[in-house]
Amino acid sequence: MSVSVDTGGKGGKKSVNADLYLVPYIDLLTCMVSFLLITAVWSQLARLEAHQKGQGQAGEDTPPEKQFKLVVVVNDEGFNVVADQDQQPIPKKGTEYDYEKLGTELKKLKDAHPDKGDVQVASEDQIKFEILVRTMDTALTARFPDISLIDAGGAGI
Amino acid sequence: MAIHAPHSHLYNSVTLETAKAKLTHAGRKSLDAPLNLVAYIDMMTMLVIFLLMSFSATGEILFVQKNIVLPNAQNWAELERAPVIGVSKDVVTLDGSQVATADDLMKDSNTGDFKITELHDKLVTLKNNYKLLHPGEEFNGIAIIQSDKGVEFKVLKKIMYSCAVAGYQNVNFAVIPKTKAAGGAE
Repeated sequence: MSVSVDTGGKGGKKSVNADLYLVPYIDLLTCMVSFLLITAVWSQLARLEAHQKGQGQAGEDTPPEKQFKLVVVVNDEGFNVVADQDQQPIPKKGTEYDYEKLGTELKKLKDAHPDKGDVQVASEDQIKFEILVRTMDTALTARFPDISLIDAGGAGI
Repeated sequence: MAIHAPHSHLYNSVTLETAKAKLTHAGRKSLDAPLNLVAYIDMMTMLVIFLLMSFSATGEILFVQKNIVLPNAQNWAELERAPVIGVSKDVVTLDGSQVATADDLMKDSNTGDFKITELHDKLVTLKNNYKLLHPGEEFNGIAIIQSDKGVEFKVLKKIMYSCAVAGYQNVNFAVIPKTKAAGGAE
C-alpha cells in the first residue's frame, strides 16, 4: 500500500508526457534496412516459355493425331498464319511487322477453336530475336499458352 | 561607504540556500540533450516499406550482361533456377563461360548438323549432375536463353537444337517484363 502526499505544486496535476524508449525500435529498423538492401534485386527479369517439337532426340513420340494445326510463319515479308490448309498472309506495315493484325487473326482462330492451346512459331534464319519474342507474346495474348519455336524449313509448309 | 565588486542582487533576501538555488537557476544544468528522432524513424520506416515491397524471395537468378539488350514482353512468368545460356552478338556463354563465338554459329555447317559440341557436352554434364543431386525428382529440362534482341534466329536455332539434343526441351527466353498499360502506350 502506498501513500501519496499531495505536494500542492501546480495544482497536483501529473505530467501526461511519457518518454518512449526508441532504441530497440531503431535497432530493428536498421537491421531490416541492412538486410533488405543486401538482398535487394534491382534488375527484374522474367521469362517467356517456348517448347521445341520435332528437334532433338527427346522430341514428342506420341503418334500424330489428326489435329487442327496452327503455325505462324515469320519471314521478311511479314507473317503467314497457317491454319490447316488455310493461309492468311499478314504483310508488314512499311518496315514494321503488323502485330495488331496478327493478334486479331489469332483471336479469331481461338474463338473458332476454343480448345486449341498450342501454336507453332516458324521462323526463317534472318529474323531477329526481338521480332520472335513479340510474335510469341502476341500469341500468348491471344490465349495460346503452349508455344513452340521451330525453323520455318522444318515446319512442313 | 565601502565599495563592493558588482554582483547579482536578486533574491538576496532569501536565506534558505536550496530555495535560493532554485530561484536563481544556479543548480547544475543537465548534460542530456534530447534528440528529435521522429524524422529519422519516419525515414527508416518508409525505407523498410519500400524495400519490403520490392523484395524478391527467389533472389537474383540472372545478371544483366553489358553487351546483351533483352527484349520486352507482356506475358511473362517468374524465372526459375536453370542453366543460363547468354547469347550476345559476339559470343555464346553457358553460366558465364564461353562455349562458342557468333562467327562460328553464323557459318553454314557442312554436315548439316546444328549441334554446338561444347555447349552440348556442358549441358549433358549439368543434366547428369542434377540427376545425381536430385535422385527422387524428375528432370524438368529447362534452360534459360538470355539473348540480345538483335541476334538472328540462325544462331538461336543452333543453340536450341543443342539444348534439345542434350535433353533440355523446355527453353525459356529471358525478357524484361512490361506491364500491359506500358505496352499499350507504345
